[in-house]
Amino acid sequence: MPAEAPDRAALEGRVWAALAAVRDPEIPPCSITDLGIVERVTLTFDAVDLELLPTFAGCPALDAIRQDAEAAVLAVVPDREVRVRFVYSPAWTSDRISSAGRAALRAYGISPPRGRTEAEPAPVLIPIEAVHAAEPRGTCPFCGSDDTALESSFGPTLCRATHFCRSCRNPFESFKPKLPG
Amino acid sequence: MPEADPRIALLLALADDEMIIGHRHSQWTGWAPHIEEDLAFSSIAQDEMAHARLLYGLAGPLLGRDEDALALGREPEEYRNAVLCERPNGDWGYSLARQYLYDTADAVRLEALASSSWSELADRVRVIQLEEKYHLDHARVWFARMAEGPSLTARERLAAGLGASIAEAMAVFEPLPGEPALIADGVLPRANESLLSEWLAAVGEALEAASLDFVLERHAGIGEMVPTGSGEISEAVTLAPPGVSHREGRWVHEGGFTGAGGRSGRHSEDFAPLWEEMTGLYRAHPGATW
Repeated sequence: MPAEAPDRAALEGRVWAALAAVRDPEIPPCSITDLGIVERVTLTFDAVDLELLPTFAGCPALDAIRQDAEAAVLAVVPDREVRVRFVYSPAWTSDRISSAGRAALRAYGISPPRGRTEAEPAPVLIPIEAVHAAEPRGTCPFCGSDDTALESSFGPTLCRATHFCRSCRNPFESFKPKLPG
Repeated sequence: MPEADPRIALLLALADDEMIIGHRHSQWTGWAPHIEEDLAFSSIAQDEMAHARLLYGLAGPLLGRDEDALALGREPEEYRNAVLCERPNGDWGYSLARQYLYDTADAVRLEALASSSWSELADRVRVIQLEEKYHLDHARVWFARMAEGPSLTARERLAAGLGASIAEAMAVFEPLPGEPALIADGVLPRANESLLSEWLAAVGEALEAASLDFVLERHAGIGEMVPTGSGEISEAVTLAPPGVSHREGRWVHEGGFTGAGGRSGRHSEDFAPLWEEMTGLYRAHPGATW
């Protein structure tokens, strides 16, 4: 209905703004829109349908994200039913993280993921002697040095890897690239 | 369990493999040689169980059972995982040999299934593939480290692990009940025999490069499948994989599988204790949520 169109656009804007305030509990500096988790918002007469993409399939934060997104949207459209579902197409990739999200990760001490066009370094193994032999990978979020090494592709959450900075000698984490190929 | 729809056999094979090997990987938590490997195997386990969940989610509507009931609420003979996945972790050499063989096999079938005519399956497979990449990296770097030394003990243990698991890894490609119908519909784009052939050639090449291809020449049988329940399976059955030979610079299989194994719900003596432990809590508190 044409008469409804401006209202609907405004309402949709409010829904997106509400979602932009929902944090990922495992990556608190980033909202779910920064991370590119929100794939689609569909407003109908009596409902709002949200389609979210899981970052990692086994992420234990998914249920919390679902509940928080539902509550945030319900607060701005209390008269409608809010339905949240996770979808698998397209597959979430780490290049969906916005530049604001990347900056927030870096400020929080997590190196943002390598982009699709950046070369992929060979995986290495800890312990530390392997680290010293390894090719540099990742920029240290503390001192900005590229003289770093991957310690392990696995870390405290499924989406993070652990590194060591040879310049400032701090361990740090990165958001794991999740890219095709 | 009704299995009129051949997609059920495919989904349960894929999902049960991931669930059961995920359970085995999780048993390294707290026991791996160093904390990074605790994290690695714990994370891989978490991924594998999540992948199982994605696939149980597709099987659920076909079977009228929810994810939890499929993962934890079935009888032992209803599980369709390959025997490889249920074996105890053994030593580090066995665990890494098994992970290497399983994840390389898994990669071959996922690549095929990414072009399945069943779009819901293909979508989920593409999500899974992006995460499996890290598992493959883990298996490959450990394979190289143990194969190349300098520790001879590590190389010997890797070789022993490969020797113990290679035949069971071939059985990841045991033909599925109803496979011709899956192929005809394009749900399974390639026959398991074709996937086995691709995997065996690639693994053979990697083993040759590490001078470990003797494990293929000496590959042992899989052994007796023991009855897993009081139901339809009343006697022990042997699953034998095809023979393997080296022809024109390439490792190839000869003939097919005989007998029946995991894809028909027939398991090794190691499955029952795993099932007891894995499903114990679920069985003790029916209907509990957390």
